Amino acid sequence: MRRIQKFAAVLGALAAATALAGSARAQEKPEIWHYYAAGSEKAGIDALIDYANKQNPDNPVGQRVIPGNVVELRRQLQTALLGGQPPAAYQSSMASELKTFVDGGRLHDLSAVWAEIKGDEIFPEGIQRVVKIGGKPYGIPFDLSLINNVFYNKAIFEKMEITPPANWDELVAACKTLREGGVEPLGNAGGPFWSLYNFYAPLVSTVGVDGYYKIASGEMGFDTPEFRKALQLYRDTMVSCYAKNWSGKTWTQTADDVVNNNTGMFMMGIWASAYFKQAGFAPGEKFDVFPAPGTDGKVIFQMDAFAVPEGPEATVKAAEGFIRAATSPKGLESFAVPKGSLAPSTAVPASIYDYAGKKFAEQYAAASKANAVLPNLFFLLPTKVGTELGNQIERFAIDPSESTENEVISTLEALRQEALAEEAYTKW
Amino acid sequence: MSAQTINRRGPVPYTVAIVFALVFVAPLVLAILTSLKSPAEITRVLSVPTELYWQNYATAFERMGRSLLNSILITAPAVVLSIAIGCVAAYPLAFMHGRGGRFTYFVLLTGMLVPFQIVQIPLFFLIRSIGLYDTIGGLWLVHTAYAIPFCTFFMRNFFSSVPRSMYEAARIDGCSAASYFWRLLLPASASGLSALAIIQSRAIWNDLLFGMTLTSSDNARPATVAIAGFASSLQVEYGPLMAATLVSTVPVMLAFLIFQKSFVRGLLGGSGK
Amino acid sequence: MAHMPAKAGWSRTTLTFAGFLALPVALFAVFFLYPIVSTFYLSLHDWDGVAQNMRFIGLRNYWVLSAQPRFYHAVLNNISWLVFMLLGPTALGLLLAAVLDRGLRGERAFRIIFFLPFTIPAVAVAAIWRWVYEPSNGLLTTLMRNVGLGEFAQNWLGDPGVVNFALMGAVLWWTTGFAFLVFFAGLRNIPVELLEAARIEGATPWQSFWRVSFPLLWPSTIIVLGISAIDAMRLFDIVWATTSGGPAYASEVLATQMYDVAFGRFEMGRASAISVYLLLIAGVVIMPYIAYMSRRVADSEAD
Repeated sequence: MRRIQKFAAVLGALAAATALAGSARAQEKPEIWHYYAAGSEKAGIDALIDYANKQNPDNPVGQRVIPGNVVELRRQLQTALLGGQPPAAYQSSMASELKTFVDGGRLHDLSAVWAEIKGDEIFPEGIQRVVKIGGKPYGIPFDLSLINNVFYNKAIFEKMEITPPANWDELVAACKTLREGGVEPLGNAGGPFWSLYNFYAPLVSTVGVDGYYKIASGEMGFDTPEFRKALQLYRDTMVSCYAKNWSGKTWTQTADDVVNNNTGMFMMGIWASAYFKQAGFAPGEKFDVFPAPGTDGKVIFQMDAFAVPEGPEATVKAAEGFIRAATSPKGLESFAVPKGSLAPSTAVPASIYDYAGKKFAEQYAAASKANAVLPNLFFLLPTKVGTELGNQIERFAIDPSESTENEVISTLEALRQEALAEEAYTKW
Repeated sequence: MSAQTINRRGPVPYTVAIVFALVFVAPLVLAILTSLKSPAEITRVLSVPTELYWQNYATAFERMGRSLLNSILITAPAVVLSIAIGCVAAYPLAFMHGRGGRFTYFVLLTGMLVPFQIVQIPLFFLIRSIGLYDTIGGLWLVHTAYAIPFCTFFMRNFFSSVPRSMYEAARIDGCSAASYFWRLLLPASASGLSALAIIQSRAIWNDLLFGMTLTSSDNARPATVAIAGFASSLQVEYGPLMAATLVSTVPVMLAFLIFQKSFVRGLLGGSGK
Repeated sequence: MAHMPAKAGWSRTTLTFAGFLALPVALFAVFFLYPIVSTFYLSLHDWDGVAQNMRFIGLRNYWVLSAQPRFYHAVLNNISWLVFMLLGPTALGLLLAAVLDRGLRGERAFRIIFFLPFTIPAVAVAAIWRWVYEPSNGLLTTLMRNVGLGEFAQNWLGDPGVVNFALMGAVLWWTTGFAFLVFFAGLRNIPVELLEAARIEGATPWQSFWRVSFPLLWPSTIIVLGISAIDAMRLFDIVWATTSGGPAYASEVLATQMYDVAFGRFEMGRASAISVYLLLIAGVVIMPYIAYMSRRVADSEAD
């Protein structure tokens, strides 16, 4: 019995402590939700929110990190939207992702902020079209990464006298040299994104920019000879170069292989640059980059934007104030530099970046002028088609046999038909 | 644990124990080494850190912050409550042999089959509507409620192992059903209770899903959410992640060490079969 | 309770019992039945989880799923997890508990070591095992290479034919602590006199374990097997955190598929249908076992 009393006393104390803690509850600020929980991503978002709050001392915002990725964020967001407690603004992907929430009547039209920050002037056309739904902007871009560059280990290239390949044949030849020299030629990593992002280069080389958008809009089928040709080009070039056991590694493990001189090249989003740097592998000295064959003069990008759910006027105002400050050139700079990504606004000068960042910024500027800024296909497709495409391309990269090729094509084509019937496709 | 029992054991148990201990420890060594490596060294998985990089632990503590305290405030009462409710439900179910009892038991057990990922939207509405969203009290309630099937299952089995003759003898002595429960059955189940306490401490301490869904601020956010935060969308901060993980296992290990005493004692304080 | 002896006082006992059950049953109704019913309701709809309205489509989600190879693949994975979870952690936990039972020097240290992995959160287990299974320089491959077994090293998490076994290895490490703990507690509940008696009759430790201890471990065994079976059906965290069901769905189980369909593809209705299937399959597979085992305990009591 005495033990039970002791126990009750402990319980009581805990309850009291909890009550005290609860009463010390801070006043709630409008929240920005994102999934930049760690590393340079966190450093970037912290700096951005700091900067914006300094610009809006009367209307500061708070942040909430959703650990995980876009899937976890959607889950939290869905719960919050249904519960009537959405964040003031959140990190959203582009195109289909935005459209789902716009169609659901959940997002606030950001035309006013867009006009103030002169969105039509500072963002290239390829970017504008993936944040506007029905002609109105629902997301303001703040974070841009190119996904069509190949990183390479300079020491290995110099030792084997390889120059950065400019076309597919040179890439395959470089792979051969590397393999003969005892180095894995091209890194890749498991998961539904990385093989898909690699595949965009052969895809664009085969179907061109028009074809890329036609696949995105559902006009071009997965059972067309062009798409099959793209798969075969992918198989004969990149897939044939992939490092042994690539599918069992995470992207950072593959990046480690490049750092440790086990792998020569790695086609990855430009965030890899920040990772290399953190590992003491300096841009320009230890590694360099070249655009994947078939993408010279173009860029393929992955982007994050801030979206604002419909909510109380004060919250929406706070969110708009935050976005205004965050997407000013200074705001974008405060994020892009620590994070190691690009500012999506062309008003931000290239001089803010490091060696690799400058290269990316130049590619981006040139592609903007040539109107060759291509959004990540994954997000242009209806969400379920994009997700399936990622899985199927990974499957093909693991086993590029003819039977897999046929299955990949028939699976994707069946899904395209289903999505067409549901009118799920959008012409971006 | 008399000397003679030790003598009776040959080298086989030792060998088995040591081999498995090595296998069990190896991944942990990897975790410990990583928790002490600088970001540059983490690129080499099996290397030994050239110098101990305690910064990871500093980062871990800084980022976990208030959430460690929250986790303690959530876990300790929730463990007690969940075991209490499990015992309360298990007792009648262990002793009622009618169809009603069996049916109730069966229904309660189906709860174990529910995947928690799907409960969260209705759950969110529920917790918000009773004003417990983002409170530690809300998590007590949720952990207690969702522990019912398991704790009932666990305790019912343990109660069943206490000889029924004890129950009948007590009843003949005029002991009421309720006082049998408090005075005889619970003390006789010490080893079961402590095993369950350990399992529940671990389950509640490690909960991520409810913590993510039902908290939104430092008021109630548990440490697991902070730990998951070291794995971001693209990057994982392995050093601080491992440091935070090792730190966060300490309270569960403490619970283990505290409660294991009572199941080492086992039946000594029990039914006296 | 009809067959209980009709003594005076039984009805009071019944009332007491009902009183004991009231709170758990009420909580259960609110926290389990309500979500299950609402999940079933969702499963009859086409809903992206975002729109304000959902469209009623009857049982279509169910028959669409029942025609998908991807769905069956996940079901099969759950079944192989079921077999593994019933055998692997259970057997190893029993072995370790038996080895440590009563007087092994350093017992306490071993106990901590065997239990420790069980306390680690899934995210961290995934990160640790990602290094163990790194196919070229990871812990396992390196160890195998050093003892001359390098050629048997696999692409542990990247080969669709290997990934499930690799995950099972990680889970064995992670969850054996649970079975170990329950069996250990169960062994402690076995009266020393019985073992002494067996010893006096000349039984070896091996014989007395199987003849005396093991039969008395039924309640513990039921707990471990029951929970293992349920964990196998509900498996989510470790798969999601390690492979997210990949490569290309190879390691997908129903709970991760449900998650992917719900939040990776905005198909809440279909995801709910997966949950309902999961509930039904788990019910069909596990409930008879639990019912049977519960009765067994009750019967052995009555003897």
